[in-house]
Amino acid sequence: MTTESRLKKILQSGKFAVTAECGPPKGADPEVVRNKGKILKDYTDSVNVTDNQTGVVRLCSLAACALLRAEGIDPVLQMVTRDRNRIALQSDVLGASALGIRNILCLSGDHQSFGNQPEAKGVFDIDSIQFVKTVRTMRDAGEVIGGDKLATPPQLFIGAVENPFADPLQYRATRLATKVDAGAEFIQTQCIYNIDRFKEWMGFVRDNGLEGKVFILGGITPLKSARMAEYMANNVAGMDVPDEIIRRMKSVPQKEQRQEGIRIALETIQALQSIKGIHGVHIMAIEWEDVVPQIVQEAKLFPRPQV
Amino acid sequence: MDQKSAGLNLTIFFCQQSDPDQDANRRSIEKEFGSRVRFFPLPCGGRIDSLHIMRALESGADKVYVVTCPEGACRYREGNTRAQKRIAYTQKLIEEINLEGERIELITLPAGKPIAIDELARELLAREASVGPSPVRVR
Amino acid sequence: MITAERKPISEIKEMIAPYRKILVVGCGSCVAECASGGEKETGLLASAIRMDAKSSGKDIEVREMTLDRQCVYEFIDQLNDVIADYDIVLSLGCGAGVQAVAEVFPKVHIVPALNTTFIGQTKEAGLWIENCRGCGDCKLGVFAAVCPVTRCAKGLFNGPCGGSKSDRCEVDPDVPCAWQQIVSRLQDRGRLDLLRKVHPPADWSKQQGKGPRKIYREDQRS
Repeated sequence: MTTESRLKKILQSGKFAVTAECGPPKGADPEVVRNKGKILKDYTDSVNVTDNQTGVVRLCSLAACALLRAEGIDPVLQMVTRDRNRIALQSDVLGASALGIRNILCLSGDHQSFGNQPEAKGVFDIDSIQFVKTVRTMRDAGEVIGGDKLATPPQLFIGAVENPFADPLQYRATRLATKVDAGAEFIQTQCIYNIDRFKEWMGFVRDNGLEGKVFILGGITPLKSARMAEYMANNVAGMDVPDEIIRRMKSVPQKEQRQEGIRIALETIQALQSIKGIHGVHIMAIEWEDVVPQIVQEAKLFPRPQV
Repeated sequence: MDQKSAGLNLTIFFCQQSDPDQDANRRSIEKEFGSRVRFFPLPCGGRIDSLHIMRALESGADKVYVVTCPEGACRYREGNTRAQKRIAYTQKLIEEINLEGERIELITLPAGKPIAIDELARELLAREASVGPSPVRVR
Repeated sequence: MITAERKPISEIKEMIAPYRKILVVGCGSCVAECASGGEKETGLLASAIRMDAKSSGKDIEVREMTLDRQCVYEFIDQLNDVIADYDIVLSLGCGAGVQAVAEVFPKVHIVPALNTTFIGQTKEAGLWIENCRGCGDCKLGVFAAVCPVTRCAKGLFNGPCGGSKSDRCEVDPDVPCAWQQIVSRLQDRGRLDLLRKVHPPADWSKQQGKGPRKIYREDQRS
């Protein structure tokens, strides 16, 4: 396959990358995915598709990525280890590559108790770091777990996530080092509202000698409302939303809150661009994908460069 | 109708610290009511066990009282709270076999007043009956 | 120990309903420790069954017995002289005990009074916590004696996940994050080096087995 990862090319060329998230529908209609793809295509380098996020059954990431690929988009296949054992995961990795998907993001996944299938068995046969290593070995050594050889290795740019706002703070940077050792080539972080804490984490990352060893994209989720800010602060695991942000969102009337959320997002993007070791931004505007073009334009990141 | 007139069987578990003369004081009641009113002294209210209560109900008690010392006065410190928890557990258990939880009642003695166990027994017999004879002995 | 909890009485009643002579058998080991199936609990259950029968006018015979262990044939044999007189055995053993008795007396109908739950410890009076899932490949030495298979909701070997916040697991604020505990302990001991390498995927066949697992010791055989 002659397809290459656009995300990899952008990052390797030293340009500031822009990725965004496409949330698949709770249904079987491919048009929903294609439409979201159309909105995001010209404003991003790659588009992530989430994998049954929060344990809610949705159109699978692999199929959605294939649909986006067919629209000329460079998708990032998100895969969680919550739902599939190593046989299925490795098999899907081969399938993704065969479908021309060139980026994979390896995660453990939200616990199944959060979604609409709380009685499901959480598989967790392997964890996200073991999964990163597995994909890397499949690609570079042409082997599956256990050493059996693959006839054709998959071609994938390998990513993982890190949450700079979860505890224990210092250990997060050590864990990132372990992920890089396992073979992670790019990282997308949890969404950032607390830029100071993020800078602190980046300090630890650089101290661990990771700058230059991995491409880091800072996560952004624009706030739609003050209520959303509060919800995320109180109900979403591992989220850090400073009181100042909530105050800002509450200080404007409801119909202006979206604009304020966008403003905060733009400020965060600007801050990210000046942090050493940050190579791009990952915009997670779930169910608000149509705000991405506006954000990318106002952040002066449009048009996307040619590579 | 009061419990005496209703002919109910009462079993009274009580902390023997609450009435040092309980041995003598019981006798008048036992003479008058025979096996209808049974007394079981405990070294501490907290020593009440679900099993004691169940056996009492099984042997025909319509109402089981557990009498403990006033709040904070337990010689063994937590006896009365422990009794409370075990009674709650036993109430839930008997509700599973369709007996009213109120057949078991905790009595925490008021602070400062010494009691004689026979006086207490008479007071209990004079109370309004909130349950009838137990279906375990009468169908 | 193995922990268990008593089934609701309504469920137990349904199982014993067709029978008149009931042998209620407790166990003096694990289930006694977690206050669900020991001699006392056997007494409570038998008492409840008898009272319920009397209240509904049913004529039944209930006997109680408690074995030291229901999972070992030497103790189960004590039922030999008694069991023929009864129609059904209501066992307060854990699942292992119920089945062990059933194997010794395959013609007797035996039903469980308990739901067997987990392997755990008595943390405080009245509080039992799961701490082992019998994975057959103990790695407690690497993880500062905090089992990630059992105590991490996602069973991560290279944790923590992104949902760990203020020492709590994302799944339940009452559940401590096992990985926070592992990292803290190793940090205290100066052994964070144990976490530096990528811990490889587990061999789950040691836990799953091919059907029920077994241990065979020739030196212990008579």
